[in-house]
Amino acid sequence: MDLKKLLTPFTAWGNITKDPVTIKDPFNERPGADRYRGFHKNDIDQCIGCGTCEVICENEAIDLVPVSDSKDGDSGLRPMIDYGRCCWCALCVDICTTNSLSLSNEYTWVSTDPEDFRFVPGVDKKDWDNNEKGWKKPDNYEFYSLKRVHMDELSPEERSDSFIEMMKGYSKEQAQQEADRCVQCGICTATCPAHMGIPEYIKAIRNDDLEEGLRILYDTNPLPEICGRICTHKCETVCSMGHKGDPISIRWLKRYIADQNPSEKYKEILEVENLQPKGKKVAIIGSGPSGLSAAHYLALMGYEVKIFEKLEAAGGMMRYGIPEYRLPYDQIDKDIDYILSLGVEIQYNVTIGKDITLDQLGKDYDAVFSGTGLHLGRSTGIPGSDNKHVYASPDLLRWIVEGKEFEVPESVVVIGGGNVAMDITRSMARLQMVKYGKVQVIATALETEENLPADLEEVVEGREEACIINAGWAPVEIEIKDGVPTGLHVVKCNSLFDSEGRFNPQTDPNVKEFWPGTMIIESIGQGMDLSYISEEFKTKLEFGPRGRVQTDEYFQTGVEWFFMGGDIIEGPDVIHGIANGHKAAVGIDIMLNPEKN
Amino acid sequence: MAKSKLFTMNEDRSLYPELDVNGKPIVDLTSHKYVKIWQGPQHPGVTGNMSLELTISGDEIVESKTHVGYLHRAFEKLLERRLFVQCMPTSIRLCVAEPDTNEYVISNAIEELGNIEVPEMAQWLRMLSLEMARLQVLLRQVPGQAGTFALGLGYQWGSYIRDLILDSFEELTGGRVYHMYIIPGGVRGLLPDGFKARLLEKLKLIDEFIPKIDKLIFNNVVFESRARGLAYIPKEWVDEYGIYGPASRGSGVSRDVRKTNPYLKYDQLDFEPFVTTEGDVYARTEVRRADLIMTVDLIRQILDKMPEKGDIKAETPNVLHWKIPKGETYSKCESSRGEYGMYFVTDGSAMPRRVNLKGPSYTHANALLDKLLINANIADTAAIMVSLATCPPEIER
Amino acid sequence: MQKGINNLIEKFGASDLEVRRPGLSFITVENTKAVAAITHLKDIDGYTILSLITAVDWIEDGIMQLTYLLNNPEEIAEIGLRVMLERKEEAGESMETIHHLWPNAKKWQQELKEMFGIDFPTSPGLNDPFILEGWDAAPPYRRDFDTNKYAEETFFPRPGRETHDPAEHMKKNMYPNNPSDYTNKKYNPNR
Repeated sequence: MDLKKLLTPFTAWGNITKDPVTIKDPFNERPGADRYRGFHKNDIDQCIGCGTCEVICENEAIDLVPVSDSKDGDSGLRPMIDYGRCCWCALCVDICTTNSLSLSNEYTWVSTDPEDFRFVPGVDKKDWDNNEKGWKKPDNYEFYSLKRVHMDELSPEERSDSFIEMMKGYSKEQAQQEADRCVQCGICTATCPAHMGIPEYIKAIRNDDLEEGLRILYDTNPLPEICGRICTHKCETVCSMGHKGDPISIRWLKRYIADQNPSEKYKEILEVENLQPKGKKVAIIGSGPSGLSAAHYLALMGYEVKIFEKLEAAGGMMRYGIPEYRLPYDQIDKDIDYILSLGVEIQYNVTIGKDITLDQLGKDYDAVFSGTGLHLGRSTGIPGSDNKHVYASPDLLRWIVEGKEFEVPESVVVIGGGNVAMDITRSMARLQMVKYGKVQVIATALETEENLPADLEEVVEGREEACIINAGWAPVEIEIKDGVPTGLHVVKCNSLFDSEGRFNPQTDPNVKEFWPGTMIIESIGQGMDLSYISEEFKTKLEFGPRGRVQTDEYFQTGVEWFFMGGDIIEGPDVIHGIANGHKAAVGIDIMLNPEKN
Repeated sequence: MAKSKLFTMNEDRSLYPELDVNGKPIVDLTSHKYVKIWQGPQHPGVTGNMSLELTISGDEIVESKTHVGYLHRAFEKLLERRLFVQCMPTSIRLCVAEPDTNEYVISNAIEELGNIEVPEMAQWLRMLSLEMARLQVLLRQVPGQAGTFALGLGYQWGSYIRDLILDSFEELTGGRVYHMYIIPGGVRGLLPDGFKARLLEKLKLIDEFIPKIDKLIFNNVVFESRARGLAYIPKEWVDEYGIYGPASRGSGVSRDVRKTNPYLKYDQLDFEPFVTTEGDVYARTEVRRADLIMTVDLIRQILDKMPEKGDIKAETPNVLHWKIPKGETYSKCESSRGEYGMYFVTDGSAMPRRVNLKGPSYTHANALLDKLLINANIADTAAIMVSLATCPPEIER
Repeated sequence: MQKGINNLIEKFGASDLEVRRPGLSFITVENTKAVAAITHLKDIDGYTILSLITAVDWIEDGIMQLTYLLNNPEEIAEIGLRVMLERKEEAGESMETIHHLWPNAKKWQQELKEMFGIDFPTSPGLNDPFILEGWDAAPPYRRDFDTNKYAEETFFPRPGRETHDPAEHMKKNMYPNNPSDYTNKKYNPNR
């Protein structure tokens, strides 16, 4: 036996004089590390209740429970964690679309009641709610792409003198890549005025089942080619992806589905080949979005529908108010032709109130829906605005569509900062480019740069096309010389609303500018023309603020057979019109078939 | 060298049961010469929950049968119902002691089939976490081998340093045991500020720890006389029984996935796995001691060579809809116990079609353990199991 | 590696070669030739290590795939040998045993019998319980065994848990009368 090997192990006795290394809990605190994954925290003001945390939790430890009212962009739900199931993997934190969820570094908590270990972080107050430390989503680490897939577009040089559609549309690869970003929370659906099945049709794109996608679109929206191009996309403003990155390009994805389905297959895909006639007739005044939408759903339910249109083509503001470079006419026709193919009849160049009275329509038809829109331009009323070279934007936009001849001057001033103002600004710029090879259009808006009512891309693209867009100026006077305007005097506008939120622009008369232009275009909003309704008929209707006719939930007026919707009731935009028309169609069906409902 | 027990097997066996044609003892329990006892499923000398059905004669084992199933959670089947990223929290629980290898093999399989290129920085961080995991296992296992002979002191020292390594894991990954650090596409964080210096400081403790356990364990006459010659594995068995890692290197066969199939950045590190030929428990403990020193060295090399900054995660498809085309692969790495592999099959959907984990314990703890235990003293059962590093969860998954 | 693969193709008619990465290939061989092919790989081509045997249930194709993963430590090469068995409705596919080649094979075969119901006649201890003692339901790793259903029948959820789908919840609160519900029901009740 090796004596050395017998004795050496006893050197371990040397440790007897050393201090122990153990931590004396609970006398010494031992906080978790900076990244420790302890109990959850949730910033409930930031949380939107999108539910991705629940979806990713493989332990099914998370339930979404209501804690406040649902509103646009916030479901009112918040995650409740069951710590009987949670494994503290923190995937819920990493996938959180708003970065509201995190884990604290607290790991010790004692309670005798097991139910205490099921709570809503952020709502049920806990000691660790203000702990700065704990697991947060690392930087440069995402479970999905935050960047929107760029859509190819014509360059400013290519588009500045042409009305060819500017956005080229998504390829299949691009659309699937963009659709992949969607977390399918469905927050958008509530905000969309038509409550479109957005997550569902995006899913159809991912599955490359575009026929199913088209069916989902037509459940709620019979104008997908149009909406896929020019919808105001309120859905995108509430998209949960928009909190950390770019919102999903919902509008372009809708366009992709519609673009990819050939119109000749629509009837087969949408299973509308055997509609059962009901033997009842409905008249529709105006072929804008609300009228077309009502016509579509009424036709599906078997009604005989006839649309009366004042102008010589269908589409209303979609055709006559939106420039061709944003919405080409063949795409408008694709949507409208399909609706007409369901048996909807349309009569052009007929003005209600003049060619046929509203009362007569009421006698000839079982119900009437009116969606006549806002076609009258509003005026600022400033000195000089009554000059004949001062135009209203709806008129000019319509003339461009109709091909009417008018003088395109070398310099133009547009008053207004909304989307319509951008439309006329960019249209005039194109006409100037064609005629003079250069652009001189100045758009002037009351609102400041950050608060411009127009969509950001409209402003950016307008500037790319050499339009000048000046924000934060109030028009004062149009200077007239020899009966022709020479330009617009403006003063600085500092704020638009008073402390109570009323419209009350505050201007600084000392800061002034003069924008030169021989044509002035006013584009500060549109008004409705209800002259087709006789005074006697109006007495049967109830009017609300700003001269709007009051309707019930189904857009039924005080006259049982008369329904109104679209921009004259709600909006103004295409998607509200579509939603109104759809709902009115339902209202008409309920009214005409009381026994079945 | 103490007299090896290997040779006692060939001595006079008249007191022991006769062997049948397969070499298995013929045991007649009614003869009162034999007793059947169960070691486990709860037993301090058994690593994890498994049990050995032992037939003993006196204090000598004449037959052994391994029983597993106490930890079965059907993980492989559960993974078939999970999105790829959701596989992670489940998969790490396939092996408690060293979960990082699970994180790596499953992430690697997903990346390979899903065509994802992992950023350079993430590869270094993965390698660091894998070596830290090996370190914390070995800190328990090397002195733990002596613990199976009732010498628990070294185990306590090792556990202390292991706890400090777990502190480092906590800093790096947010978890002490289940790290959830490696994730399909990359890792979940860069090194925290000052991490490198703190970890290097802790490694110095291991430099001091090695001479201490050398004195306590490797220069210990009791350990030596019990471990030498115990559970001898001849070189020829290595392939036949599927023996991996330190157990194969203790029998003179150099097998190390880091060398044979260099993954991550192992080809940029300088190391040579220790090989010895004795093939007994002592040899396997020596191999692990050398591995411990090598792991410390590897961590120092990694910390020295890794870049300061870089992307930690490649862009992957949205994890909620990530579909991977039909395919199959076998993804493997070197765990502290040997080759750790995962057979992974995808079918074009968002979830795996089939996942099959192959850890070294599957072969070590079944046919091999049953064989090694025959003729062993009952007091050596735990030592033999620990020397094979059996981990029941990876047998039954 | 190439030698082993070539032998499989030439001598055993193997097909569907898929080179996953250098050093790892998958190839299919007919089940009647599989054991001969494995023996050849082991004894002649140097594939001396059996890394694993497992099964993949392709229920929709009526195929039960067995995968034998063999390792050649000299050439640092691995071959995944696929054997496609005809899948049976009520389990009981049969395959020749390879326990005579590697002693561990009997454990894998025992597990495959238990978890997938695949029979390996003459494999020792094949019908002994391996993991599932006292299990009398269908082999649980087959695709048609519903783990979720089993869990729901066997365990009980914690009472009082209820969750809400964000979109459904918002609909209920914000626009309960969605016109598309009405029109869909009206004109196309099948959808």
